[in-house]
Amino acid sequence: MKVAVTLFALLVAAPCAAQDVAAGEVLYKQKCAACHQPTGKGVKGAFPALAGDALVLGDPALLSRMLLVGKGGMPTFKRLMTDQQIADVLSFVRSSFGNSAAPVLPDVVAAMRATLPASGGPTGPLGN
Amino acid sequence: MEQQESGTSRRAFLERLGAVGGTAMVMAAMDAWHVPTASAATAPPALTGAGKGKTIVILGAGHAGQVAAFELNKLGYRCIVLEARGFAGGRVQTARRGFTATELGGETQRCDFDPGEYLNIGPWRIPFHHRSTLHYTKQFGVPLETMVNDNDAAWMQHNDGSGALKGKRVRQYEVKTDLRGRVNELIAKAATSGQLDQQVRAEDRELFLDYLASSGRLKKDLAYRGSDLRGYVKPPGAGDQPGTIDDPYGLSDLLQSHLWRDFQVGEYTHPLTMFQPVGGMDQIAKAFEKRNAPMLRFNCEVQQIRQTDKAVTVNYVDTKTGKTASVTGDFCLCTIPLSVLRSIDTPFSDDFRAAMDDATYVPVGKIGLQMKRRFWEEDDGIYGGHVKLDHPAIRQISLPSNNFQGQKGTLLGAYLLFDGATEVSAMSLKERIDYALAAGEAVFPGSYRANFERGFSWFWHLAKYNLGGWANWTAEARKDSYPKLLNADGRIYLAGEHLSYLGGWQAGAIESAWQQIEKIHQRAQQA
Ligand SMILES: Cc1cc2nc3c(=O)[nH]c(=O)nc-3n(C[C@H](O)[C@H](O)[C@H](O)COP(=O)(O)OP(=O)(O)OC[C@H]3O[C@@H](n4cnc5c(N)ncnc54)[C@H](O)[C@@H]3O)c2cc1C
Repeated sequence: MKVAVTLFALLVAAPCAAQDVAAGEVLYKQKCAACHQPTGKGVKGAFPALAGDALVLGDPALLSRMLLVGKGGMPTFKRLMTDQQIADVLSFVRSSFGNSAAPVLPDVVAAMRATLPASGGPTGPLGN
Repeated sequence: MEQQESGTSRRAFLERLGAVGGTAMVMAAMDAWHVPTASAATAPPALTGAGKGKTIVILGAGHAGQVAAFELNKLGYRCIVLEARGFAGGRVQTARRGFTATELGGETQRCDFDPGEYLNIGPWRIPFHHRSTLHYTKQFGVPLETMVNDNDAAWMQHNDGSGALKGKRVRQYEVKTDLRGRVNELIAKAATSGQLDQQVRAEDRELFLDYLASSGRLKKDLAYRGSDLRGYVKPPGAGDQPGTIDDPYGLSDLLQSHLWRDFQVGEYTHPLTMFQPVGGMDQIAKAFEKRNAPMLRFNCEVQQIRQTDKAVTVNYVDTKTGKTASVTGDFCLCTIPLSVLRSIDTPFSDDFRAAMDDATYVPVGKIGLQMKRRFWEEDDGIYGGHVKLDHPAIRQISLPSNNFQGQKGTLLGAYLLFDGATEVSAMSLKERIDYALAAGEAVFPGSYRANFERGFSWFWHLAKYNLGGWANWTAEARKDSYPKLLNADGRIYLAGEHLSYLGGWQAGAIESAWQQIEKIHQRAQQA
């Protein structure tokens, strides 16, 4: 009985320790879709398309860096998302909109996060 | 776990920091996040000499561009301002009846508020210490009124804590008074039982206790048993009605309620009262526009910048006709937000470009709701200020500071930042309004939805010529990249809120322009 429970726990926990594409889809809607659009096609001249994008399909470490650090209009999600969440959402993006690249593992995100300076949160807590 | 984590917010982060490192660490983090501070310059630079015969091409007619044109023109420079939008002001916009706007990937919205009702979709408040902003409102005679930035009578309601106050709608004055009373009582008792003898000198002790007793409304025995500052259950009145004060909340309930987390306004940075221009913040932009009119060229979207060692040429497209054209000047002052500028064809060095990419922009948006009746005033006696909530995205509802006791009123039903902004901006216009109404209905049950008439929502990360609310510099980027952008790249200078320590404030845009035009002028004088 105890063995069965442990096994069950392992089975349930396993995908969670890696990446969870379904959770990633929910996160995509909340944090990405407004700009990159529900279709992942972006808006020309403003928000890059994620479908077929070289950075999206490329090195998972560099891709997670983009989410952690941001760039231009792309905000930093460093303080807003966990490693697991970033892995989930990137894995979703890499397997959607016609993309098919390997999932991003939370460990890769964690390793990239560890290389970044400690500061880098969003501006003042109140808004102006 | 996942649900909980997806709600991870600044506050959660600060909470965690607080748990780990205490208040000092939280304060340090808030500092690194750059809680906006005072403006350093109080008047435009006193420039002498003449700009005659020299042309300055200014890109963008937000405050930075308009200030530059206004001041440089006085010195005799020929200024040409290219603005992509059909009007001046940039982020300084007010939605009122007839105002239309279209977000990227979105439908066109037409504001149908009643005449006189408005929503400042960008800036809405000016603290007393932004002397640069106030310099121009005074000079141009833009009438100001008080913006009630804090109101102790406003409701607060939190469901995220526990104890007797969980989910209870309370007045801010009750919570503030009781917290102060309870805390002062503890400190006073510690002081009288010798526990603070090391920290408080014997000759200071009496004053210390006086201070604790008077600010905390403690009784003679240094106990806190409530005070009129926390309001009445039965208000005082004529004749034989002395009024009844309720028992104060217990310290544990106060702490467990988490309500104290919302006391962030006050003192210097976000003073209790601020200013707002009568009729909308765009009155400041319009006052500039009136004076700058001959220099402003609208619907001119900059597409390419080129420079030689003698001149700068800017190529743009007229968005009305689709025709391209170009202007050439001796110098260029570019106030286009970095989020937009980075995708424009510019001649900047790789180093300069890399520095530009080091700024990220904060997703920000607002939802305004026109209400048929001012129930917050009429029913609850709340005139302006912010109602505080612990809703996952909507942390406050801001009540209008204009037209008190009028019939209708337009409140700020949501001021969304960061992931709250990305999430809500992905919704349809109708869903956004429903989302805001649901949050408000929880604290004004029976009135909020019932009085709602019309809404308007706007998100700055979806604004084509902004792509973000304001620039965000990390401590590292501030140190390494930001200083590079303060210098010219050839004959091109940058200005805007992003090049100030007053990021996300009008004062930042104004003072950045002041700083850069001084540099341009000095260089032009030498040539
Ligand atoms: C939601 C919100 C709330 C705020 N609250 C406050 C507040 O309460 N108090 C306060 O003082 N400040 C506040 N601010 C900050 C304030 O609005 C800004 O700091 C200030 O207006 C920025 O001025 P700017 O000239 O630097 O930029 P902008 O106003 O953005 O001006 C840049 C101009 O460049 C133009 N442009 C862009 N691309 C091109 C192109 N390709 N070609 C030509 N022109 C182009 C734009 O159309 C725009 O007019 C708030 C801002 C936001 C978004």
